[in-house]
Amino acid sequence: MPKKNKKRIKNKKSLSFQEIIMNLQKYWGNYGCVILQPYDLEVGAGTFHPATTLRSLGPKPWKAAYVQPSRRPTDGRYGKNPNRLQHYYQFQVIIKPSPKNIKKIFLKSLSSIGIDIKNNDIRFVEDDWESPTLGAAGLGWEVWCNGMEITQFTYFQQMTGIECKPVSVELTYGLERLCMFVQGKKNVFDLDWNNDGVKYKDVYLQSEKEFSAYNFEFANTKSLLDNFDIAEKECISLLEKKIVLPAYDQCLKASHIFNLLDARGVVGVAERTGYINRIRDLAKGCGSLWLESKD
Amino acid sequence: MAQFLLELYSEEIPPLLQINAREEIKKIFEKSIKDEGLTFKSIDVYSTPTRLTLVIDNLPEKIKILSKEIKGPKVGVEENILKSFVSSHNVSKEDIYEKDLDKGKFYFIKTKSKEVFTKDLLIKITPKSLKEVSWRKSMRWSDNNLMWGRPLRSIVSIFNKQPLIFDFEHLKSTDTTISELDLATNSKKIKTYKEYQSFLKSNKILLNHKNREAKILEKIKKICHSKKFRENFDPNLLKEVVNIVENPNVLLINFNKEYLKLPKEIIISTLQKHQRYFPLLDNKDRLSNFFLVVANKSDNKNFIKEGNKRVVEARLADAQFFWEKDKSKNLIKQIAKLKAVTFYDKLGTIYDKTQRLRKLSSLISDEFNINKEKAEIAASISKSDLCSDLVGEYPELQGIMGKHFALSQGFEEDVANSISDHYLPSGLASDVPRKPISYSISIVDKLDSLVGFFLINEKPTSSKDPFALRRSAIGLLRIIIENRLNLKIRDLINYSSTLFIDQGVNQKNENFDNDLLNFLKERMRNILKEKKIQQDIIEASISSHSGDNYLDLFRKSFLMNKYINKDIGKNVIYSYKRASNILNHEKKRNIWKT
Repeated sequence: MPKKNKKRIKNKKSLSFQEIIMNLQKYWGNYGCVILQPYDLEVGAGTFHPATTLRSLGPKPWKAAYVQPSRRPTDGRYGKNPNRLQHYYQFQVIIKPSPKNIKKIFLKSLSSIGIDIKNNDIRFVEDDWESPTLGAAGLGWEVWCNGMEITQFTYFQQMTGIECKPVSVELTYGLERLCMFVQGKKNVFDLDWNNDGVKYKDVYLQSEKEFSAYNFEFANTKSLLDNFDIAEKECISLLEKKIVLPAYDQCLKASHIFNLLDARGVVGVAERTGYINRIRDLAKGCGSLWLESKD
Repeated sequence: MAQFLLELYSEEIPPLLQINAREEIKKIFEKSIKDEGLTFKSIDVYSTPTRLTLVIDNLPEKIKILSKEIKGPKVGVEENILKSFVSSHNVSKEDIYEKDLDKGKFYFIKTKSKEVFTKDLLIKITPKSLKEVSWRKSMRWSDNNLMWGRPLRSIVSIFNKQPLIFDFEHLKSTDTTISELDLATNSKKIKTYKEYQSFLKSNKILLNHKNREAKILEKIKKICHSKKFRENFDPNLLKEVVNIVENPNVLLINFNKEYLKLPKEIIISTLQKHQRYFPLLDNKDRLSNFFLVVANKSDNKNFIKEGNKRVVEARLADAQFFWEKDKSKNLIKQIAKLKAVTFYDKLGTIYDKTQRLRKLSSLISDEFNINKEKAEIAASISKSDLCSDLVGEYPELQGIMGKHFALSQGFEEDVANSISDHYLPSGLASDVPRKPISYSISIVDKLDSLVGFFLINEKPTSSKDPFALRRSAIGLLRIIIENRLNLKIRDLINYSSTLFIDQGVNQKNENFDNDLLNFLKERMRNILKEKKIQQDIIEASISSHSGDNYLDLFRKSFLMNKYINKDIGKNVIYSYKRASNILNHEKKRNIWKT
C-alpha cells in the first residue's frame, strides 16, 4: 500500500528541464534522426547550425535533431522579466524530405514530454517565416497549446537564396516555454532543472544579469565593428579558397557581432539593411559553395 | 441524377487562404462544368482548416453530344495533311465529303452524335480545374512539385456513389476520407455526401463554415446575455476564428483585475490581435476582465481555460513591466532617440521629421490662431513613443501609447491627444481629428511627407504608391474640409520645402509645388465623389479651380450640387447663360468693328 502511494506521487511530478530534453532526444533518435550536439559558436537560432542551414540544401535526404543555445542580445532583461532571456534553448529537428505524416509524428513528440494531447487545445496558427540574414523563407505555423506558442513548424522554401528541393521540414521547440507549460510555472527562473533542487535561476540568473549588462552597456563597439569586418573578410577569402565550413563559421560570427552591435544601439536603421545584406551575401556564398562541394 | 463529391484534405490552411480557395474552387468548377455542357442543381464549397469540400448535386449521368460539321483542309492538299485531319478526328477516309465555299473547295467531316458519360468528363476536368486554383501564397513540400496553400495530403472523389479515380500531380484520388483527432486516425469509405457528413459529425467536425459561425455566435450571445456583457464584436475576428476551428467551443475566461489599470488598448490588442480572443465590455461599455476564447474541442479537464488564462496574464504582465518602465521616460528626452529611426533614406530620420514638424506647426498655429507653444511641443513629441518597448511589442499602438505616456507625465490633454489623433484618419470610414492641436499636427505631418516625396520626385504613379501618399493627401483634404479650415496651403508647402532643403535634402523636382497642388486637386475628385456630388459638377469645379484653398473648392461644388436642380439654381443658370450670351454677342460685334 505505501509503495503504491509513493509511486503515484512520483508519477505526478512533471518532467524536469533536462528530462524534457532527454525525452525529445530519445523520441527523435528513435524516429531515425541523427542526434547532434549544439554548434559551438554563438547563433541567434537553431536554424543557423550548419546541420540545418547547409544540410537543407541539395537533394540528399537528412534527418537530425539537437539542442541549440540561442543568443538574442536585444532580448536581455537583466533577469528581471519572467519570460524573456538573451540566452535560451531551442530543440531543433530537421527532416528532408518532409514526411507525409509529420504532423502526427510531431504531436506524438509532445506526448513524449508529458503533454496530454487529448485534453489540451493544440492549434496550428499561420506563421510564415523569413530570415533576411540567411536569405531564407518558409511557410508553416506556430503551434499553440492553449494559446501559448510552443513550437515553430516550417517548410523551408528557400535557404541562402537557393530554392530548397526537396523541401525540408523544420521543427523548433522553445524549450523554456515548453517546460513552463509542462511544469505549470509562470517564471522561467523557477523551472525545475533536474527535479533534485536545482532551478533554472541557479544555472542562468547570474548569466542573464551579466550578459544583459555586456550586451547593452559594456560590449566594446569599436572592436565589434572591427571584428565584423575581419569576419567578413575572412569569410570571403575562405570562400575563394573553396573551403565552405570554415567560411560559414565566419559568417555566423559576423551575424552574432551584428546582433551585439544592434543591442548596443549603434546600428542606425539605414545601416541595418546594409549589415543584413552583407551577412546574407556571405550566407549565399556559403550555400552555393556547399552545393558545389557536394557535386 | 447524380452527385459529385470532392474533398481536398490538407494540413491547416490559414483562414484568408481558405476563404479565397473556397471561392476560387466554386468559380472554377462552375465554369468548367458548364463549359462541358453539363447541368446541375447546386454547387457548394465548404471548408475547415484541413478540408475543402465541393458538392455538386443533380448532375446527369451522361449527356448527348450532337453531330457537328467540321471543316478540314482545302481540296488538293498533300496526302499526309489530309491523313492527319482524318486521324485527329477519329474517322475513316470514307467519311470525308467535299463542299464549295467562297474560298474554294474544302474537305468536311460530320462527327457522329454520341453519348458521353459525365464520369469521363469529370475525370478530365477535375485535375485541370484543381490546377487552375490560384493561391495568394503557396508552397511546395517533400519532393513534390505541386504548389498548394499548405501540404495537400489526399483527395476523395465520388461520382454517383462510385469512386472517381484520377491523378493530380503525385496524388491519386480515392473514396476513403480520414479524420485525425488528436492522435487517433479514423477512415471511412464514402458513397454519398450524406454518409460523408455523418462520418465527419461522428468525429466532431462541423464542415459547413456557415454553421460553425452560427454556432459560435449563438454561444457568444448566450454568454453575453446571461452575464450582461455587450454584444460587440469585431466581424473580421469572427470571420478568422470561424475558419481556424472545426469543433468550436466558446469558453468564458477571466484575468486578474489588477491588469485593468493598464491602458485598455493594450489589453484589447493583446486579446484580439495577438491571441484572437474576444474582449468583453460590461453593460456600461467599460472593458471587463473577461474574454471569450473559441477553442477547438471541449474542455473536459479545465486545462484549456487555465492555459489560456495563464497566457493572457503572462502577456499582460509583460506589458505591465514595459508600461511601468516606459511611462516614466520623459517624452522630450526620447526625441533624440529618434535619430536612430529612418523616415526615408533620402529624407532623413524621424528625428529630422519632428524638427520640421515643430517649425511647421509654429507657422500653422498663427494661421489657426492656436497656442503656438503647445503646438510646438505636440509636434516635437508626436513620434517619441516609437522608441518605447511597448510600441516595439505592439506596433499597432503607435501614437496611442504616446498619448498615454504624455498623460501620465502631466502633458496637457489636448497635447497628449494629438499624439494619437495625428495619425487619423486611418481610412475612408475613420473620423478626422477635430481638436485644433490634433488637426494642426495631423496636417503638418501629412503635408511634410507629401512635400518630401514630391521634392525628391518619388511621386506615386498610377499603379504604385509605396508611401501611401494618396491616403495622406485624402486625409489632409478631409481634415481641411470637415473642420472647415481656411488654409492657403501653398505658403505651407513652400515653407516645408525650405525646411527639407535646410536639412540637406537633395531636391530633384523643380516643379514639386505645382505637381503637389495638382495631385491634391485630383484627390478632391475622390472626396467629392464620396460626398455624392454630381459628376459634371465635380469636373467643372475641379477644372475651374486654380487656387490652393480646398475648402472653397468644396463649398463651391457642394452649393452647386445642392441648388442646381432647384428653382433658384435653374434661375441662376438661366440668368448666367443669358448674360454670357449677350457678352459673347457684344464681343463678336466689337471684333467686327476693329
